Amino acid sequence: MRMLVFAVALMLTTFAEAQTVKVTGEVTKPLTLSAADLAAMPRTTTVAKDKGGVEHSFSGVALRDIFKDAGVTTGRQLRGENLAKYVLVTCADNYQVVFSLAELDSSFTDRVVILADQMEGKPLPAGVGPFRIIVPGEKKPARNCFQVTGIAVKFAKD
Amino acid sequence: MIMRKGFLKYGYGLAACLAFVMGALAFVSRPGPTPYPLSYPGYFGNRINIPADNPTTMEGVALGRRLFYEKRLSANNTVSCGTCHLQRLAFTDGRRFSIGFDGTPTKRNAMSLANSLWVRNFFWDGRASGLEAQAVTPLTDPHEMGQSLDSSVVKLRAAGSYAGAFYAAFGAAVITPERIVRAIAQFERTLISADAPYDRFLRGEYHFTPLEQEGYELFFGGGPVRSVGCSNCHGGPRTLTETYHNNGLDSVFADPGRAGVTGMAYDRGRFRVVTLRNIALTAPYMHDGRFASLSQVLDHYSDHLAGGPTLSPTLRDTAGRPEPLHLTAGEKKALLAFLNALTDSTFITDPRFSDPKIN
Ligand code: HEC
Ligand code: HEC
Repeated sequence: MRMLVFAVALMLTTFAEAQTVKVTGEVTKPLTLSAADLAAMPRTTTVAKDKGGVEHSFSGVALRDIFKDAGVTTGRQLRGENLAKYVLVTCADNYQVVFSLAELDSSFTDRVVILADQMEGKPLPAGVGPFRIIVPGEKKPARNCFQVTGIAVKFAKD
Repeated sequence: MIMRKGFLKYGYGLAACLAFVMGALAFVSRPGPTPYPLSYPGYFGNRINIPADNPTTMEGVALGRRLFYEKRLSANNTVSCGTCHLQRLAFTDGRRFSIGFDGTPTKRNAMSLANSLWVRNFFWDGRASGLEAQAVTPLTDPHEMGQSLDSSVVKLRAAGSYAGAFYAAFGAAVITPERIVRAIAQFERTLISADAPYDRFLRGEYHFTPLEQEGYELFFGGGPVRSVGCSNCHGGPRTLTETYHNNGLDSVFADPGRAGVTGMAYDRGRFRVVTLRNIALTAPYMHDGRFASLSQVLDHYSDHLAGGPTLSPTLRDTAGRPEPLHLTAGEKKALLAFLNALTDSTFITDPRFSDPKIN
């Protein structure tokens, strides 16, 4: 009986905790983005290969659009010491990857890195979604990381 | 000359002043504890974890070593950290579940303490951030050592022999719960294993046998043989990336693993990827010690991956189905040879890590 109550409690907490992405660090407005928030933002579609080499279309929100909402130094503000900023992406399994802020910025590059929530128009599969990073044109897919939970903008301090 | 005149003129005042300042300094400061030289190979990287308020010192480590082997820290003076973490077994105990002071088995398999300096979240589910926080659990767990930190303080004080060591380590003879865990954590940070044949290979001092070489290439990829992807999770020279994965042991989870900490469905059955250093010494294997031998572990990855929504994508094919590695008998032999080359006999016999009461 006690086990049952415990199991039910665990299930409830599990389902109560909807998956979100927290945007923190050098931002003027920290964000906690849900699936609904992403659906309401400007959408971008891009293509990337899976580990079998097959191309798929992914859609979601460009990191630069997320940064606009969060008040990150982008575009004309991305100069001087702000060029020493980097973006640390953390996933549910504790995997982490880094981008420099400049390599995500439209004034530096045409490449648009997105936080994807759909593949071929459908939600991402379990174990990969609900949110993942897609870096178009990257040779090795190691930064196309799964189950993103956090995007932190930080200053390199050394 | 002018200097000298000036000195003479102000000399007495200055000297008096200096004498006062130096006297005051001598009074408040003492020769502090000596920093402990943590040495490790460059290929381990410098992402080490030492809290600013607990630097590693010779005196702190010496005290921590005594405390690590101190049975008075358990309720009936029968168990120390060293009871479940034996040096000769790379700080594991060879049991499926460990036995605490009251005879109750632990819920999980004891973990190796090698190279904890690089670990940020401890236990199979990563629930303790930092060695200081981690140490409180076994000390106070009702079945492991079963004693409040306050009782430990009282017992160490009564033992009489600890005041000097606490003074040397922390500049105060007062024994506090915080200093007990800090000293133990300092000792654990020194448990660095970096002298296995694999290390000598990395340093260019050892040639792998052909079988070890093949196992190394299977494990890490990049050689003429196929990669079986162990290094996707057990990556880098430390043979771990600090991530949580479901490596296909079960599809129904008796132990929720990481989900017990985060409450997230996607974490069910996920456990921390642990180091494989000294793995030949640390049987049985996995969080519940279900596999008695490394051959059984390889059979698991080869043929028995359980499916389920949280199985790591690394162990699935592109359609999302479990993708067992289908290792040949030869590949298994090669992987075993490489895993055996991770045994560091210097580490398990290093006198700095042993029970100071014995050597
Ligand atoms: C009764 C046996 C027992 C005793 C006594 C014990 N441990 Fe453990 N230790 C374990 C078990 C079992 C685990 C894994 C538990 C889990 O994951 O929930 C563990 C895990 C650890 C870990 C985590 C390692 C990692 O990589 O995450 C550390 C560190 C550790 N113990 C240190 C200590 C210290 C320090 C003491 C003494 C204060 C101690 N242990 C006493 C059994 C024991
Ligand atoms: C998807 C990530 C992943 C891959 C790939 C992987 N492992 Fe593991 N491994 C883990 C995790 C997670 C654990 C701990 C699981 C548990 O106890 O529940 C583990 C545990 C182990 C253990 C037991 C460790 C111990 O101290 O008990 C061994 C041995 C091991 N793996 C060897 C291998 C070998 C050899 C390969 C390649 C054939 C491999 N692993 C591939 C994630 C992985």
